[in-house]
Amino acid sequence: MKKAVSIVMVITLMALTIVSFSRVASAEDIKMVGVITKIEIAGKDAKTATATLKDNKSGKLVVITVNDDLTLDKFKDHRIVEGDEIRCKYETVDGKNVSKIFRKTAGC
Amino acid sequence: MKQHVTITSTLLALLCAASVWGAEHPGKSEIEKNGYKGPATCEECHPGTAKKFLGTVHWKHASKVDNVSNLDPKKEYGMKNRIYTMCNGNDIVNNLKEIPKNAEGKSKFTGCNTCHPGNHISDVGSTGTQAENAIDCLVCHSTDYDFRQRVPFKNEQGQVVMGQDRSTKAALAIAKPTVKNCMVCHEAAGGGVLVKRGFVFNKETDVHAAKGMVCVDCHKAKNHKIPTGFDPNNWANDGVRIACADCHGEKPHKGLAAAYNSHTAKIACQTCHIPRTGGAVAKDFTVWEKGSDGFYEPTTLKKEANETIPVYAWYNKTVRNELHFIGPNGSRKDGKSKIYPFKIFMGKAFYDKKTGQLLSMDFAPPMATGNTRAGVESAARTLGIKDPASVAKNAVPGWQTIYFGSDHLVTKDKALNCINCHGINGVMNFKALGYTDAEIKKLTNPEIYFKQLIEKQKEDW
Repeated sequence: MKKAVSIVMVITLMALTIVSFSRVASAEDIKMVGVITKIEIAGKDAKTATATLKDNKSGKLVVITVNDDLTLDKFKDHRIVEGDEIRCKYETVDGKNVSKIFRKTAGC
Repeated sequence: MKQHVTITSTLLALLCAASVWGAEHPGKSEIEKNGYKGPATCEECHPGTAKKFLGTVHWKHASKVDNVSNLDPKKEYGMKNRIYTMCNGNDIVNNLKEIPKNAEGKSKFTGCNTCHPGNHISDVGSTGTQAENAIDCLVCHSTDYDFRQRVPFKNEQGQVVMGQDRSTKAALAIAKPTVKNCMVCHEAAGGGVLVKRGFVFNKETDVHAAKGMVCVDCHKAKNHKIPTGFDPNNWANDGVRIACADCHGEKPHKGLAAAYNSHTAKIACQTCHIPRTGGAVAKDFTVWEKGSDGFYEPTTLKKEANETIPVYAWYNKTVRNELHFIGPNGSRKDGKSKIYPFKIFMGKAFYDKKTGQLLSMDFAPPMATGNTRAGVESAARTLGIKDPASVAKNAVPGWQTIYFGSDHLVTKDKALNCINCHGINGVMNFKALGYTDAEIKKLTNPEIYFKQLIEKQKEDW
């Protein structure tokens, strides 16, 4: 009986560990540098937009959701446009890659 | 009674000012009817303004400088001609141009003067009617500027021109400059977003922004002359200065915090209220890194806003300008200095083997090929230095330390308190600031702050 309880406890602990680790993993910040291939924004008053970046390292396309006002404004007035190279930090929330940092790599 | 009158008049003045700024800019119907024709349209109501603007730092990228050592007081200095290691190029040697093709056969336009509010044909420091007509008023004054227009291109004569948005739509959105208008250029100075200044001006990072203020609320221009502080690395100025005390006074703390007022004679406001810095901490102009687009950029160690901590030093608002150091003059005994926070930056660039002088760089060659000595040679040729090829070949890499003023990222809630400085492990290096061991013992004794912090603790809890 005692052994059975121990086994159940160990399994529970392992399950909890896996669940908690997977949560951490999804909340981890991912960094990438890539070129914008597409910007989708719904009008001047849009509160969110998506930008597709082609990862410089892997060549894969990554869709980033942008919610911060400053970057949205840069999309709207075209300070950031398709073809710009971007340094991006994002986290995955509910399956979406939500931007935390979204900046042009080029300077003056 | 007298006080009441003063308060009432101040409020009325503020109200009037607010209504002037808040109201729609007049002349909208005229612009709608006639379209926008550049500065000529603005001049209809603001005659003489364009000519005056040509005399400001924003147009000249330079001014006479009277608080920096080793400069000629008769000459003007600034982005136009300075040679240092945050921007190893300047408007002269790194003039906007189409750079040579890189290994992938691609070229692009680049240059230090891309931020100049002219059209490049009328460039930094130009004068006359043509220059007046070339001013891009709307890049600073429109809230609806289309930045796709503000890109360099070659005209039919083969001249490199900086485009402008002179649409009626942009002109109809004319207003007092917003944070965005200023940050279009100032955010990305020094080679990228947050590289040089390292601050973001938003409600999360600055208490003034959180109160809805914009840049020009403090940097309030008169005749387009913009007041600035005394950043040891920001030399060009319009001869108008600002300081925190202009608004906050010399004794800004009240209640339990009033004890801090005894510090204001020797401690700058920034020291406690700007406890963090940000931006690039080091840059190497002698080795450039290849990017994914096939172009090269100087190797740069970047940090976020609020990611680094400042260094504290006495500063009397005069600057020690040497080949390997640009930073504050001052001491605790000169009667003029206060302790200020500084962002420390270290830049590596080439020095002339014969003269020891810091050399500048034309970025076009290294950007295309990574060959930094070719950039030095091109710049030396532009400046008329004798035997540029030999100068570049023998140039010696070296580091320069620069103290940047730390005047933004202002906080009230996270300001340093007594224990942050007077604690044994406090942020101040009292020894380096010139205090004796006996003085330091006294300065770090809890007797100094204990009672006050206990009272504060009671208030907080």
